[in-house]
Amino acid sequence: MKVLQSRRARGFLLYLAAAGPGLIAANAGNDAGGVATYASAGAQFGYRPLFFMVVITIGYVCVQEMVARLAAHTGKGLGALIREQFSLRLSAFAIVAFAIANIGLVVTEFAGIGAAFELFGVSRYLSVPLAAVAIWALVMLGSYRYAERIFLLMSLVFITYPIAMILGHPDWHAVVANTFVPHFLRSSAFILVGVALIGTTITPYIQLYTAGAVVDRGIGPDEYKYERVDAVSGAILSDLVSMFIIIATASVLGGTGALTSAAQAAKALEPLAGRWAEDLFGLGLLGASALAAAVVPLSTSYALAETVGVERSVSKTFREAPLFLGLFTAQIIVGSAVVLIPGNLFTLIINAQVLEGVITPITLVFLLVLANRRSLLGAAANGRLARSVGLVTVVVVGLFASFLVFQTVLGWFGVSL
Amino acid sequence: MTRPILRLPTLPRRSDPVTPDSGGSGSHADHPPRSLHRPRPLHNRSQRLLATRAVRDAIVSLAGVVGRPVRNQGGAEIGKLVDVVCRWDDNETYPPVTGLVVRVGRSVSFVDGAAIEAIVHTEVRLHSARVDLREFEPRPGEVLLAKQVLDYQLVDVDGVKVIRASDLYLAPVFGGYRLVGVDVSAQSLLRRLGPARWRTLATPDRVIDWGAIQPFGDTPRGAAPEVRLRTSNAGLERLRPGELADLLEDLMRPERQELLDSLSPEEAADALEEMDPEELASLLREADPAQAAELVGNMEPDEAVDALRDLNSDERANVLGAMPLAKAAPLIRLLTYPEDEAGGFMTTAFVVAPVTETVAELVDRLGHAAECPEELDAVALVDEDGTFVWDLPLLQLIVTPGHTPLHELVGEADPVTVDSHARVQEVAERLVEARRLSVVVVEDDRPVGRILADDVLDALTPERGRFHFPRLLQ
Repeated sequence: MKVLQSRRARGFLLYLAAAGPGLIAANAGNDAGGVATYASAGAQFGYRPLFFMVVITIGYVCVQEMVARLAAHTGKGLGALIREQFSLRLSAFAIVAFAIANIGLVVTEFAGIGAAFELFGVSRYLSVPLAAVAIWALVMLGSYRYAERIFLLMSLVFITYPIAMILGHPDWHAVVANTFVPHFLRSSAFILVGVALIGTTITPYIQLYTAGAVVDRGIGPDEYKYERVDAVSGAILSDLVSMFIIIATASVLGGTGALTSAAQAAKALEPLAGRWAEDLFGLGLLGASALAAAVVPLSTSYALAETVGVERSVSKTFREAPLFLGLFTAQIIVGSAVVLIPGNLFTLIINAQVLEGVITPITLVFLLVLANRRSLLGAAANGRLARSVGLVTVVVVGLFASFLVFQTVLGWFGVSL
Repeated sequence: MTRPILRLPTLPRRSDPVTPDSGGSGSHADHPPRSLHRPRPLHNRSQRLLATRAVRDAIVSLAGVVGRPVRNQGGAEIGKLVDVVCRWDDNETYPPVTGLVVRVGRSVSFVDGAAIEAIVHTEVRLHSARVDLREFEPRPGEVLLAKQVLDYQLVDVDGVKVIRASDLYLAPVFGGYRLVGVDVSAQSLLRRLGPARWRTLATPDRVIDWGAIQPFGDTPRGAAPEVRLRTSNAGLERLRPGELADLLEDLMRPERQELLDSLSPEEAADALEEMDPEELASLLREADPAQAAELVGNMEPDEAVDALRDLNSDERANVLGAMPLAKAAPLIRLLTYPEDEAGGFMTTAFVVAPVTETVAELVDRLGHAAECPEELDAVALVDEDGTFVWDLPLLQLIVTPGHTPLHELVGEADPVTVDSHARVQEVAERLVEARRLSVVVVEDDRPVGRILADDVLDALTPERGRFHFPRLLQ
């Protein structure tokens, strides 16, 4: 969840001042799914995924720039643009893809809440239903804005990752080498982690969110040059934090295999917090998850209501806005119910990111087509460079996803690659 | 207010004022379509075309007919229908179909509306065998229904609602095909998602008569249009500012701009005053400074200052810079007060009179004032030094003989005032104490503005604004 503050770079000091909230926002983007996936990748493959993250960042920057440009130049959110620009069937397909990805994200957030409470010794069968009811009520009663600040403060815990990283004395030589020297891990396990990393970074949800935020703030074509700086720096900043999480976890747990519990992931904070690491991690996880558990279903409902063209407001009654409020409620129920199915919460979180990663290429195709369309954007449509970078991103992301699907389907028939 | 949605099965009238021209006889060509304009549409719904049974029976779904074969006189298929061209025209409530876009082989060409014999659910039949194969060049006011209207936002003026067209309906009336209604039902969306044969069934569940619709985009979207919103629905003028504000908030930027451009600056400013502050800031930000300045300049000073406060300093400077100095100066002065103090939400559009004046002089002056505050309820009286002495209710001014000097009307008690640095709570208490609709704001005993009760109400009512795309760190 990035919030790109509209600012005009007037000197370095001003920029630094503005980078503060940017950093917070970028950090808030590392929700339960992000933290779990980055930590697990670091634990399983050490510093090796760092170069992959650099590649993802290029794609992510390009995608965020396209979304912000589309929104600034058309003044419309992605839902409306898709409905107006594609046939109804294609629009429905895109919206269903977005909806499935977002429900995956809601599951992630509730799993995050459950995992955090388990760190404090509270059963998820108690904490998750209560959290679901509480978040639903907070939003419906209109007092979510206050709770949001508390959650945001709690999630700031993850800002300690860079400090934990330095205190963990990583092998800086290996870090630099693995970040800048191109390499690729040829293992089917890495494909899975790769798709999860893509899914948690270039989340379809972030695209809806960025477009909505740009439109909402009234950013027009004239302000777009500032907005672009924001979109790009926000994306880079957010991925830097992701890489810090990978390095911090890798230096403590590198090579021990995929993580299966939040308690393991919390070990990465031990160089900083010692025996308080679990509590610190749990606090951050809870804040980040609770924050997103309300915002994600709201955004999905908003985008869907925008596409269908009906009332979209929490200040309306169920009778006035049945689709919007019904969808919001349904997502909270489904999201929390899935988490109550017995199984490993941490693995559930990572699997949900894999689902995101499989859906990402679908939504990216729609995005790329829109951003390429001259009849929509005129001179602001993708130029040759943006077109090719976008295409390469879609192809790479698509290859990863389809290879994973292919491998999984073969696996059902007992064939392993 | 009457509901805009016609539930077709329960329509009351069977005797139709208009016989639809389903036979294509052209006998109604001499009926000027203008005659259909209801003088007061909200109360004369039965004259709406869709209220006519025969029209309802003859309507064709646009979403269904697109993609269907176009046949010539002999019944041979010459191509597939791609789109239907309509003309937005100020004189026509129901836009006439002026042509078709047809895919012939690999090329796309334009067929003039005159060649249309019939549009039915499953096909389009033409009069002639010859088709003039030329490129479609939109003439002024022409729109492509499937490409530019279907699935886009429209305003339902009767229902005061922004809708998205899930289907459009055509019907043969007044010697030609016209756009008569728009469907907003979810059922229509599902019908369009299903197999092709579902699509042809017109299932008008919630159809809004086109006479109640404010359309947009008679110029290609994205291009800079020279003439916008040629057809301004007469019903728009009857909307209250608050209703217009709701519509402006629900529309997306291009449509919002069109609607805004169709309003007079005064109407627009009144609507803007009713808008949610965040939506308003976003609207002013995206308008160009000259337009924003005109809009803000037409707002009441206290509302204008509120709006300006929500912009950042650069944007604020741009808007103020584009305003005539006479308008900008009082706003700049008001902006120097903190938002939560009396000076921050008072209005400077108020009337001050010296006690030396007579009632008749004051009334005369009020009558000749270029801009009299709309919400005037009292006149602030000052003595020779400019010190505030009495707040004179307007009613008393009216009932007092004209020759009476104002100082005779000054009351015994100390007049109730608030200091420009007073907090909202204190202002509220003062208002309750004074039992008035407004209270004068003073600085060093001189009146500098007036606070109206509604502004205090606004400030005290907990903010429960409209819902935005959820975002953090606002």
